[in-house]
Order: sequence, then C-alpha cells, then structure tokens
Amino acid sequence: MSKGRRAKNTRSEVLQGTLDLMILKTLQAMGPLHGFGIARRLELLSQDVLHLNEGTVYTSLLRMQQAGWIAAEWGASENNRKAKFYSITKAGIRQLAKETEDWERISGVIGRVLTT
Amino acid sequence: MSLPNLWQRIRNTARDRSPDVEFQAEIEEHVRLLAEHYRGQGMTEEEACLAARRQFGNQTLIQEDRRAKKIIPVIESLQGDLVYAARMLRKNPGFAVAAAVTLTLGIGANTAIFSVCNAVLFKPLPFYEPDRIVMLWEQTATGAVMTVAPANFADWRNESRSFSEMAALNPNSSFILPSQNETARLAGAAVSSNFFSLLGVRFALGRNFLAEEDRPGANHVAILSYRVWQERFGADRDIIGRQVKLNDTSYTVTGVLPADFRFGSSAADFQPRNQGVVDQFLVNAPGDQFDIWAPIALNAEKLQRGTHPLRVIARLKPGVPLAQAQAELNVIATHLAHQYPADNRDKGIAAVPLKEQATGTVRVALQMLLIAVGLVLLIACANVANLFLSRAAARRSEMAVRVALGAGRGRIAQQLLTESLLLAGIAGTAGFFLALIVISVLSPYLPADLSRAGGVRPDARILAFTASISVASGIVFGLGPLFGTARAQAGEWLKASNRVAGGGQSLLRNGLAVAQIAIALILLIGTGLMVRSFVKLIHVAPGYRSEGVLTGRLSLPRSRYPDNHQIAVFERGLLEQLEGSPAIQSAGFTTYLPLSGSDNGWAFLIEGRPPLPTGIFNFAKYRPVSAGYFETLGIPILRGRSFTRGDEREGSPWVVVINESMARKYWGAEDPIGQRLRFGSATWRTVIGVVGDVRHEGLGGEMKPEMYVPMEHAPNVESGPTIVVRTALDAGSASAQLRESVSAVDRTIPVDRIETMDQLLSRSVAQPRFRTVVLAAFSILAFVMASIGVYGVINYLVIQRTREFGIRMSMGATQTDVLRLVLRRAAALIGAGTFLGVAGAVLLVRFITKLLFQTAPVDPLTFAAVPVVLAIVALTASYVPARRATRVDPMIALRYE
Repeated sequence: MSKGRRAKNTRSEVLQGTLDLMILKTLQAMGPLHGFGIARRLELLSQDVLHLNEGTVYTSLLRMQQAGWIAAEWGASENNRKAKFYSITKAGIRQLAKETEDWERISGVIGRVLTT
Repeated sequence: MSLPNLWQRIRNTARDRSPDVEFQAEIEEHVRLLAEHYRGQGMTEEEACLAARRQFGNQTLIQEDRRAKKIIPVIESLQGDLVYAARMLRKNPGFAVAAAVTLTLGIGANTAIFSVCNAVLFKPLPFYEPDRIVMLWEQTATGAVMTVAPANFADWRNESRSFSEMAALNPNSSFILPSQNETARLAGAAVSSNFFSLLGVRFALGRNFLAEEDRPGANHVAILSYRVWQERFGADRDIIGRQVKLNDTSYTVTGVLPADFRFGSSAADFQPRNQGVVDQFLVNAPGDQFDIWAPIALNAEKLQRGTHPLRVIARLKPGVPLAQAQAELNVIATHLAHQYPADNRDKGIAAVPLKEQATGTVRVALQMLLIAVGLVLLIACANVANLFLSRAAARRSEMAVRVALGAGRGRIAQQLLTESLLLAGIAGTAGFFLALIVISVLSPYLPADLSRAGGVRPDARILAFTASISVASGIVFGLGPLFGTARAQAGEWLKASNRVAGGGQSLLRNGLAVAQIAIALILLIGTGLMVRSFVKLIHVAPGYRSEGVLTGRLSLPRSRYPDNHQIAVFERGLLEQLEGSPAIQSAGFTTYLPLSGSDNGWAFLIEGRPPLPTGIFNFAKYRPVSAGYFETLGIPILRGRSFTRGDEREGSPWVVVINESMARKYWGAEDPIGQRLRFGSATWRTVIGVVGDVRHEGLGGEMKPEMYVPMEHAPNVESGPTIVVRTALDAGSASAQLRESVSAVDRTIPVDRIETMDQLLSRSVAQPRFRTVVLAAFSILAFVMASIGVYGVINYLVIQRTREFGIRMSMGATQTDVLRLVLRRAAALIGAGTFLGVAGAVLLVRFITKLLFQTAPVDPLTFAAVPVVLAIVALTASYVPARRATRVDPMIALRYE
C-alpha cells in the first residue's frame, strides 16, 4: 500500500512541477479562470503533445492555493453556472518569475548537454 | 508545512465535510463541461461522457489526495481510534471499571492534596509584589528568632538602605465594641501608618492612616475589617469619618479593608518561628483575623529596648536580593549590639520571606503528603499497566492481524495510547470531581493552619494539574503493553495465537509487582513512624487534668477596670458567683492559658545572688493567676502551698509560686521556698510554693521555667483574663452558666473563646493528627492496590502455566509441590519488593524527621513489623491463585487451549 503511493508520488512530482508552472503562467496571462478553462487553455497550447489527466489540474490548484500562490473565488461561468475562479496572487507572480528562471536555466543546461 | 497551513489543516480536520461536497461539485461540473465540449466536436452523448471521464482521470483519487492535503491524518484516524477504544472499554466492562476506579482514586487523591497545597503553598499572597515582602526578627545567639523591641525597630528603619519601607505591627491589643444586644471583644492591632501601603492594600472604603495620625494624641483613628463593617455596622457606606466607641474611647473611622484582606491564616503565621523539630508540634492558635486597626504611635515612652512586642515587615527595594539585605542587617545588628550591650548583646536580625513565614510549619507536612500521594498514583498506574498487559496478551492476534494488514508500529502505538488516554481522561474527570467532593466534605476537619484550603475553588491551575497527571499516567500505563508488543514479530504472534506472553512481558510484570510492593512499603513505614510519633505525642502528660474543665476569655474595658486591683475585685466577684452553684467544683483565673497560643515572660533577679554580666538574664515565663487556678486545672502542688485569697488582699506580702523546672534550673538542690526574687517592680516576691510543669505551648513543647503571681501584683494590667471552671456539667450548660454568672457581675463584659480544655488539647494536635490520618489513608490505599497487583501477577502466572502444572501433576507432582512452586515465585517477588522498599524507606525517612515526635526515623520496631505484615498479606494474596493451581485437573489442563 505504502509502496504504491510512493511510486505514484514520484511520477506525479515531475509532472506537478511543470504543471504548476504552466498553470501559473496561464493565470498570469489570462486572468482569473475556472478549472475547466485552465484545462482548455493548456490543451490548446500543448497541441496534443502533452497528455494531461485534467483531474491533476485540481491537485495542482489545491497545492498552490495552500502555498498561497493562487486564490480562489466563487463566480458565475460563461453560461451562468456557479464556478470557482482561480487567480494568481502576488506571491504567485514572484514564484512564477523564480520558477521560470529556474526552468530556463535547467532547460538551457539540458539543451547544451544534449546538443554537444 | 507552514504555520497558517497547519492551522488550516487543523481547522479542516475538525470541520464538517461540506468542502468535500463543494469540491465534488466543482469536479463534476468540469466533467460535464468537458463532455459538452466533446459533444460539440461531434461525439455522441455516451461517447462524450466516457471520453470526458477518461480525460479527467480518477476522481476518487483526486478527492482523497485533496483530503490528505487538507487535514492531519493522525487526527483523522484518532477519531476512529477513539470510537474503537470506547467500544473496547464497553465490551470489557470489568476491565474498564477496575482500571477506571483504580485511576480515579489515584488521580482524585492527588488532585485533592494538590488543591490544598495550591491554596496554602503555591498561591501568591494577596499583596502587591508579595515576593519582595519580608518579616524581620531579632535573633539570639542560638539562632532562635523573637519579636522585636520598638527601639530596635526604629533603629533598623533609620539605618537600613535595602528596604523601600519598613512597618511594625503590635498584635497585643483588643478592642471592646459596645452594642445594644451583645458587647463584643474584637482582636485588634496597632500598626505604623505605612503598614497597609507597604502591603499594597486597596481599601474598600475610605483611606489609610496618614503619617500625622501615627503620633501620640492624634492616633484615635481606626480602620475596620470588612467583616466587622458588615456584621457590626450593617455595611453602612457612611461609616467613614464617623466616631465609634472602642474601649470607651472615641475613634474616627478612616477606612474599611477589602473583603479578601487577610494577614496570615492564623495568628501563628506571624509568631516567631524556629525551624526545629519541636515546632511541628506546638499549638497554632485559632485564626483570629484582626478586626480593628489603629496607629501604633510610637513615642519616646514606647520606644523601649527591653520589651519585645513588635512584628516587623519590610519591602525590599527593587533589585535588592534578600542576601544583600541580610548582609546589611548583620552590620546593623553588630552596630546595635555594640551600642546597647545591655539589651542587644549577641543579637542578630533575621529576614524571613513573608511567604515562608506564612507557611512555615505546614510546608513540610504538605510536601510529604504530596510525595506520598504521588507514590499512590504510581502504584495505581502500575496496577492499570498490569491490567493492560493482560489484555494486550489477549489481543495479540488482533494486533497481529493489524500488522499483517500493513499497520506500522506508530499506528499501533497510536491506537493503544488512544485507549489508555481515553481511560485516563475518564478517570481524570471522575478524579477531579472526587477531589472536589473530598475537599468539601473534609474542609470542616482541616486544622487551623490549613484553613486557607477550606475555601479551595477549582481554578485553572488545579485543572491543569489534574489534566497533566491524567495524561502522564495514561502514557505511563499505556507504554507497558507497547513494550510488550513491540518485541515480537507479527508472524510469531499469528502463529502463537492464544498462547502466552513472552519473556519480555513477564519481566515487565514482575518488575511492576516488585515496584508496587516497594512503594507501598515505603508509604507504610512512613505511616508507621507517624502513627508511633502521634501516639507518643498524645500520651504526653500535659501537666494538668484537662477533662471537665471549661475555659472562657473575658475582656475588661480599661475605662472601668483601669488597674489590677479593680480587675481582681471583678474576678473575686465572679468566682464567688460561680462557687455558689453546686455544679461548679472550682474556678480560677489566668492570663496565659496553656494551649491558647498566648504567652509572656520576664527577666528576674534572685535576692542575694551576685549580679549577672551585662546582657545575660534569668528568664522565666510569667503567669498572673488567681487563687483556685492550680486546683481547678489540676496542676499538682509539689512543695510549699498554693495561693489563697489572703495573698490577693491589698497590702498582703508579695508572693510567687514557681514550677519544677524553674526550681531545678535556678536553685538546683537548694530549697527555693522562702527565697525572694523580683521582676517588673522593685518589690521582692517570696517563693511560697513549687508546682508541676505545664506544657504551655502544646504537648510537643518543652517544659520551661514558669513563675505564677497573684493577679493583684502583676506588673502589667491584665485586661483579658481567662476563666477556668471545673464542673460536672456538660459543656453546653456549663457555658450557659458561665455567661449568666458573668452578666450577673457586670452585664457589659463580653465572654468569648468558650472551650473545654479537652477541645483545646484536641485542636493542639490537629495538624499532626491530620497528616497522620491522611498519610495512613494513602498507605492503606497503596497497600490494597499493591496486594491486588501481586495477586494479579501470580494469577496470571497460574493461568499461563496451567498446562505445565497439569503435566507436572500427571507426572506425579503433588498438590504441595505445585503450591510450593507458585508460592516460591510469589515469595521471590515479595522479597525483592520488601528489600527495595526497606532500602528506599531508610533513604527517604530523613525527610520527615521534622514531623516525628520522639521517634527515631529508622525506628527498629516500625522497620521490622511493617515489612513482615506487608509480606504476609502479599503472600496471602498470592495464595488464592496458587491454591487454584493445585486444583488443576491434569486432563483438562492438557486439553487447555
């Protein structure tokens, strides 16, 4: 039981890191969005390269909410249904800047390693 | 995990499940939208739903993940554990009740004693920064402390720099307050004007004395206690500035003290107190609180160095430690000794923190009881741990299944601890209420010096104490089974199924039994010593016959009884009145009744002896009495004669009766009769008789030289004499007769403190009796619990080895063999426990040396008898299961399991 959970954790860890970054960027670029909207945007941008279980978006949202990077608020969706809208906080913007920098640095290094 | 996050989690854990529902709705909405989205791309309804679900992933997993993130898993499982633990307790009511009752007794007893300690020892005194208040005493070369001479007080106050303020109190005054229905005598005190400001008292009404009121002539002002204001003045708010008649003199009321103002719980709190053994056995006078306060108005006439009436309090300046103040006082003392050798030779000054002063004699006793009751709780925990161990063995397969299903050790520990803490929580709650009941039932029986505990209220500190000992004991007895279970592996447990405990567990069990016996023995030996000491104390001959004697204190106002002659006339009138009654056998007067807590002494000179060096005195206690006093109290006349009415007549020769100790100390083999001595006045007094010694300060007190003089020739005006009456009447009708006779002579004279001599004697040993009885109760509780503990261990051993005994008996072992086998094991445990207990007792008794009266701490009789009795009882307790072992039917035993 515990072994199974650990395996899942390691797998999602990799995904989560990048997923967080992508969601933060999305929220920064698009403003407040509900979960479905975020998933659509990511689908659009990834152009089917990235396969995403959309449920994991919520796990990520929750985690970032606890970290204080994003905030949630109830509002009405496009067709006037009750939906939760997520928006990026100031701490989230700082985090996004930091993670973007990290990502660029690491991908730069990996890129150099792979091309030489 | 950040702090706000943790807080969020705790809240989420405790909160309802509505966020779960909300989240579920959010997820479902997402899936619905997704399905719509796919339908828009041309899928059929069914395909779209399916695709949406697939695209979204596992909903349950996300929901669970979310929950794990939002809460603290330990706490969530705790809820389950609690429910489970409660169910386990309900399913084993016998076990639950036995364990809960044992613990309730232990925790209840601890809470009760702690509450008393809390009220008496731990609570800060109700003054402003009480830790900086000290009492100052004169100290003799032998280290004994005594009250202070006014002139010395004035010098200390002028010369010291360590104190921000210093104030004096003279408790030796009383006020007579006339009223329509009943004239009352009120305890009064004269104080310096800064007395209340030093303590930091906020007045309920009015104000403190002014400095200019603390001068002779201006000092007819008074401050009332709250009680007197309520009871005598009907809580009249206009009392301030009014005139009240006290001792036939007018006083202006300047203030009323707050309701909770108390200066000491009993008068004894502010007696000079020496840290000796004897101290624990002296009388503590009934706790009169002062009701009337007047300025002390020290003038040149009062500023003497030869009399010592004052109690001195002082407030340390901020930042000045006690040791520094004491060093300064030492310098002042040396200086004063040099300057006034006649009075201050070899005199030191002792500074005692007020708190220490106020709890002097009860501190040791209460600390002892607190330790004793703590030991009782340990035994109770050991018993409950034993019960838990037995049950852990029975639940072995349950634990094995849990481990096999993946429960970690931490998880199992959590569950077991939940069970023991639930039990401890139940017992703690019950114990708390038990303690409240015990205290309210026992309050009236508390000795005077513990009376502060009478008004004990449950406060946060007591609750915290009960909660922490409950949790601590829950952990202590909950850990036992944990150690037991942690050793074995799940697989072995499963295989062993119902078989018996391993070596680790029985070692733990035996250890617990040995510890229980040892602790119970320590308590029992302590009790044995206290009982022996108490029996010795109450068998001390007091020097008088207490039965059939009634006493009562009179108060004669100075205005109408200005001198001893007037007083003696009144006394004779009353005695004649009483002697007219056939039920009264005899009657007499004294000023300082034995056991009353009041006393006085005088330095004297013997005629014809060479003068003594400066600062050295002949000193004896002095007692003005009337004719008939010795006869009434039954003090034997050893030589010479007693006082007669003739000795009290005006112009009769001055005479004195001395006691045996005084005769021995100052005349040795010589006959003192006919010798002359003088004190208090220039007239020589002839010794006419020698009487037996009286234990004035209590049964545990020392015999001191005493001299008796007729009231008429007393050097002080004795306005508060005590009458003693020997009568065949019961106390009720005797006191009615006494009051009647007094009002027949003078209607306005109040009589108070009407008590029989037997009551005084009984109260004088109240504190030793209290601590002996309470300790005995604890020891018996400990004794019973320890015996049950031994029984439990042997019982378990018999169950454990039933099969083995069956085999042995089928192989030819006799019943006696089996009995011997079991009892030998019991004897080994008891022997080890007894040995450890005796060793522990030898180490610990020295802490109660102060509480023992004429009893050696390592009293051979106690140390021999108590272990034997304990061993016999414990062996008997183990005989019951041992007996059962011999009745094992080999066939049944072999089929056992």
